[in-house]
Amino acid sequence: MSNSIHVYDARADHATVNAESPLAYSFQSSGMPAPGEEGRAVVGERAFLGHLILRGGAIVLDEALREVLGIGLPGRPNSLTVDADGQRSVQWLSPDEWLLIVPGDETFGLETRLRAHLGGSHVAIVDVSAGQTLIELTGEAAHEVLMKSTVYDVDPHEFTVGKGVTTIFAKTSVILRRPDESRWELIVRRSFADYVYRWLLDAGEEYGIGVARESRHEPQ
Amino acid sequence: MSQTASQSNRLTQGGQADRTQTLTFTFNGRSYTGHPGDTLASALLANGVDLVNRSFKYSRPRGIVAAGAEEPNAVVQLGATEATQVPNVRATQQALYDGLVACSTNGWPDAQRDIMRWVGKLGSPFMPPGFYYKTFMAPASMWMTYEKYIRKTAGLGHSPTQPDPDIYDHMHRHCDLLVVGAGPAGLSAALAAARAGARVILADEQETMGGSLLDTRETLDDQPAAQWLKTTLAALAKHDNVTLLPRTTAHGYHDHHFVTLHERRTEHLGDSAPSQAGHRQSRSRLHRVRAGQVILATGAHERPLVYANNDVPGNLLAGAVSTYIRRYGVVPGQKLVLSTSNDHAYRAALDWQEAGREVAAIVDARTAPEGDLVAQAKAAGIRVITGSAVIEAKGAQRVSAARVAAIDVDAFTVTEKVETLECDTIASSGGYSPVIHLASHTGARPVWSDDIIGFVPTTVAGVTATGGAHGVYPLGEVLADGVEAGVNAATALGFDATVNDADLPRVASRHEGPACALFQVPHEKTTLRAPKQFVDLQNDVTAGAIEVATLEGFESIEHVKRYTAMGFGTDQGKLGNINGMAVAARCLGQSIPETGTTVFRPNYTPVTFGAVVGRHCRELFDPKRYTPMQAWHVAQGAEFEDVGQWKRPWYYPRKRTDGGIESMAEAVARECRAVREGVGILDASTLGKIDIQGPDAREFLGRIYTNKWQKLAPGRVRYGLMCGDDGMVMDDGTTSCLAENHFLMTTTTGNAAPVLEWLELWHQTEWPELEVYFNSVTDHWATMTVTGPEARNLLTELTDIDLDREAFKFMDWREGHVAGVPARMFRISFTGELAFEINVQAHYAMHVWEALFARGEAFDLTPYGTETMHVLRAEKGFIIVGQDTDGSVTPEDLGMYWAIGYDKPFPWVGKRALTRSDTRREGRKHLVGLKPKDASVVLEEGAPIVFDPKHAIPMPMAGHVTSSYYSPTLESGFALAVVKGGHQRMGESVYLPMADGRVHEAEIVGTQFVDPKGERQHV
Repeated sequence: MSNSIHVYDARADHATVNAESPLAYSFQSSGMPAPGEEGRAVVGERAFLGHLILRGGAIVLDEALREVLGIGLPGRPNSLTVDADGQRSVQWLSPDEWLLIVPGDETFGLETRLRAHLGGSHVAIVDVSAGQTLIELTGEAAHEVLMKSTVYDVDPHEFTVGKGVTTIFAKTSVILRRPDESRWELIVRRSFADYVYRWLLDAGEEYGIGVARESRHEPQ
Repeated sequence: MSQTASQSNRLTQGGQADRTQTLTFTFNGRSYTGHPGDTLASALLANGVDLVNRSFKYSRPRGIVAAGAEEPNAVVQLGATEATQVPNVRATQQALYDGLVACSTNGWPDAQRDIMRWVGKLGSPFMPPGFYYKTFMAPASMWMTYEKYIRKTAGLGHSPTQPDPDIYDHMHRHCDLLVVGAGPAGLSAALAAARAGARVILADEQETMGGSLLDTRETLDDQPAAQWLKTTLAALAKHDNVTLLPRTTAHGYHDHHFVTLHERRTEHLGDSAPSQAGHRQSRSRLHRVRAGQVILATGAHERPLVYANNDVPGNLLAGAVSTYIRRYGVVPGQKLVLSTSNDHAYRAALDWQEAGREVAAIVDARTAPEGDLVAQAKAAGIRVITGSAVIEAKGAQRVSAARVAAIDVDAFTVTEKVETLECDTIASSGGYSPVIHLASHTGARPVWSDDIIGFVPTTVAGVTATGGAHGVYPLGEVLADGVEAGVNAATALGFDATVNDADLPRVASRHEGPACALFQVPHEKTTLRAPKQFVDLQNDVTAGAIEVATLEGFESIEHVKRYTAMGFGTDQGKLGNINGMAVAARCLGQSIPETGTTVFRPNYTPVTFGAVVGRHCRELFDPKRYTPMQAWHVAQGAEFEDVGQWKRPWYYPRKRTDGGIESMAEAVARECRAVREGVGILDASTLGKIDIQGPDAREFLGRIYTNKWQKLAPGRVRYGLMCGDDGMVMDDGTTSCLAENHFLMTTTTGNAAPVLEWLELWHQTEWPELEVYFNSVTDHWATMTVTGPEARNLLTELTDIDLDREAFKFMDWREGHVAGVPARMFRISFTGELAFEINVQAHYAMHVWEALFARGEAFDLTPYGTETMHVLRAEKGFIIVGQDTDGSVTPEDLGMYWAIGYDKPFPWVGKRALTRSDTRREGRKHLVGLKPKDASVVLEEGAPIVFDPKHAIPMPMAGHVTSSYYSPTLESGFALAVVKGGHQRMGESVYLPMADGRVHEAEIVGTQFVDPKGERQHV
């Protein structure tokens, strides 16, 4: 690792510091309705995950990731790779750009180890953990909620598991992906999260959308 | 008088109306009854309501003519309450529900005593084509006044004045194949493609799918067509790759097979959308469909014949008569005369007779009609008069007789004596026009086909018209045509599909004789002298008007359309266009193809604005971006300012000692003093932040910024100015050197995204060899600016960073902790005071912010908003890009020579533009300070500046005020301005003449009003 980059662990100790997720304000101001009994559409925030943007050449990044994380870059555009326990993922964003999502407390260690492996290669690794959040959408009507929100084709037969795209969502943009059969994930810029949350509650109202139990706990 | 009229025209059996249930509705204030399955139109006819409207221009009484989207007269205003008013509803498309309230749209002051009646009675000399243009031409200034009353008399319905209680939404859909129209062609096409595995959407505008199958006399597989329809719909519903959308009109065909569909979801249920299982549902929905292929199975509209007084209530389309009888169990009269040019219309007379009412005669324009239906009519004992037509209807409020005469179609003359047949209903049919509206939306001009006497769509890649939509009418052929279209579309999409004739139902073959091309029926009098012969009923365009237009020199059909208003508005020429073209062709002595057709435009039928808007309204109209401290700002009662989509605290009004709330001026004055004398804090999280990594990062910065970056050491910060390639200032901000190959750039709030794009643009297109990456970290870092003489004292106890003025100099940055949170701290100042900008991960922003306030109580830590920020920076002459610059200002115009690296080795973006003749000329506008002679004056931002206030108007403008505030520190108004040659005019007076006649005088001064030597930020 070279000291030509300022690698900085800006994550605070969540035991002593009161952290607020990007949706904390929205939960407070727009409420957290409980999902309908059938759970046709359920929304939830997976807060405080580690989000790293990787920029660089695919070959070197793929090697380093396999070594450090055990999973490589997705082989094709608009797709993602998820590790065995579903906690870590790498998603293609553009020809030289990937999004790495890991448990929050792994973020800095992962960046450090990746940099060590990458040595002098020309890459960029940027921590954007606090700049975005992951919203989960589940339930049989989830894709209908999305059809009311995005121009992208979200027919479950077309938008298959393992796909991930950056697309328009109402009047903002999101990263939309399907890590497994049951879940859709939206990765949303922090400052737009409230708008996306309010839009989802509105679009999902006819399906009895509500907020998942885990998210409805007090913010950590 | 009884409020409930009986349904005198309702048959005791037949049709889909559910006679076991009765629905009550109100039309023009009178109460009527109908049944589930009725449309408003069928229910009105059942009740014998003849008059449904007054016509647009002549205010003539009008009745229902058609049974579908092409209805020109029965356009009603719907809604029981002011909030639920819907104008422009076709009664023929509105399903009846209990409690429906509707009224006529035309007729002012009221439908019964219409003041415009005399116009219609006195006739056309008073209202020739172009009447409004000719009559209300002068004076031009009065047109707006005339128009108000003309519109009122015309009556086009009214929009509600109260908020709509309903919601509307959008849904984005994708499919392999979109089929528009679920008649026999559309159903077979959809089923064929669905069986091949294609993702199919089938949309149909009617209450029930089936199209012509809903009222046909023909059988399929020896069963009533309804049976096949039921089976086919069930088969389609079983395919999970098929989406069926009834009550859904494809109203616009846009580029690349993008089609918009308007689904009326609850309009058949009530005035306002009922909730469903406790959840709100949208009243209507706009489906935005992107299809691989599109099949238009939109069928055909029957053309009425154009004869004298053909607008008197009781004149109907022949097909509509059949529809009302067979689908709704309603016979719209007692005694029928049918005037036709083709076999198919004979079914109206057969249906009429079978319903137990009298048919006076079938009048056929052909001399020797010969088809099976003709034989059937004759066998049923119906009188058939050949070589003739109804040339005129008699009656005022309802048809009382038909004048019938033998005619010579080619010579356009009446050849024999007229016979008058008593009747109350005249049905007419001049043949069928394929519904080519959607195909025309693509821009493809339709072509005339002599075979079917109509226009058919031209081929557009990926768009196929099938069945009646391209002039195939016999049921058996329609079904086969639909299957073929479906198979071809599926094949084109890459599916394996073949035509299997065994799938087609058996249709009894029926011989049809050839039709004749009859449009306008001749009259004993000339067209201009005969009673009005209506071509376009909705827009009150007569054959005479078209003839006048051609006589006045309007030869292009597009000009004729505009001069007469034919095919305008919501009608879009569904009923009258072809007849109008035929009349124009006759007058001009040319063929219909030579005359051509006008263009049908979206929307096919009106779409409510609510559906266009969807949920993009009110609270969801636009994203609101919040900083992590939003809850705190709200709790403090901050007023917010919109900066792009961000909500930024503008100022924080407090309670005054007298109990009132501070005005903005008072709050800003207090906040300014706090920063200049104590310590203030600003939420600056909205500033754009771009992380820049790579060995060439420094080189890149040198090329994109005007100033130098080679020697900026890690730990240091520099102000940077960015120009467009035109040499004009486009953004500014500070950039910190985090490490040798690592920088953090800040941008103005509004330019965060454009600047990132700008960097990528130059990197990707011009300098791809530079090894550097850019990433937005705007939302990742929250930024709080602690500024004022007490800033250091406040922060010392909250941070482990050494704040000593020698250890942590102005324009340095350091890392450490603030309130236990890892933080970067930057000693930069936008206020001119001692200032520390703290960056922490946004998750912890509120924690740090609150910790600062907990500690800050002892220092009276004062939150300040954007307004105070503006005053403080202006006092220091710091520009705001976009306020003090407007895209025409160079760094030199700003006097910022210190930020221009003229001798940098690589020519940075904008450098060359600074040597253009225009950027080097004398007399460019320069940024200067203005000090009003009267200290109490705060100049208006945007106010024009002149050098000589005594100059005759128009005075030569010398510049304008860009920023202006009252400074509590200076106890005076002050301003920044751009003035021609301003840098050479220091100390001179300029003048600002105001709209109210006052002229302010101000002195040109430097831009730094407070602490010009910049000592305070270095303490």
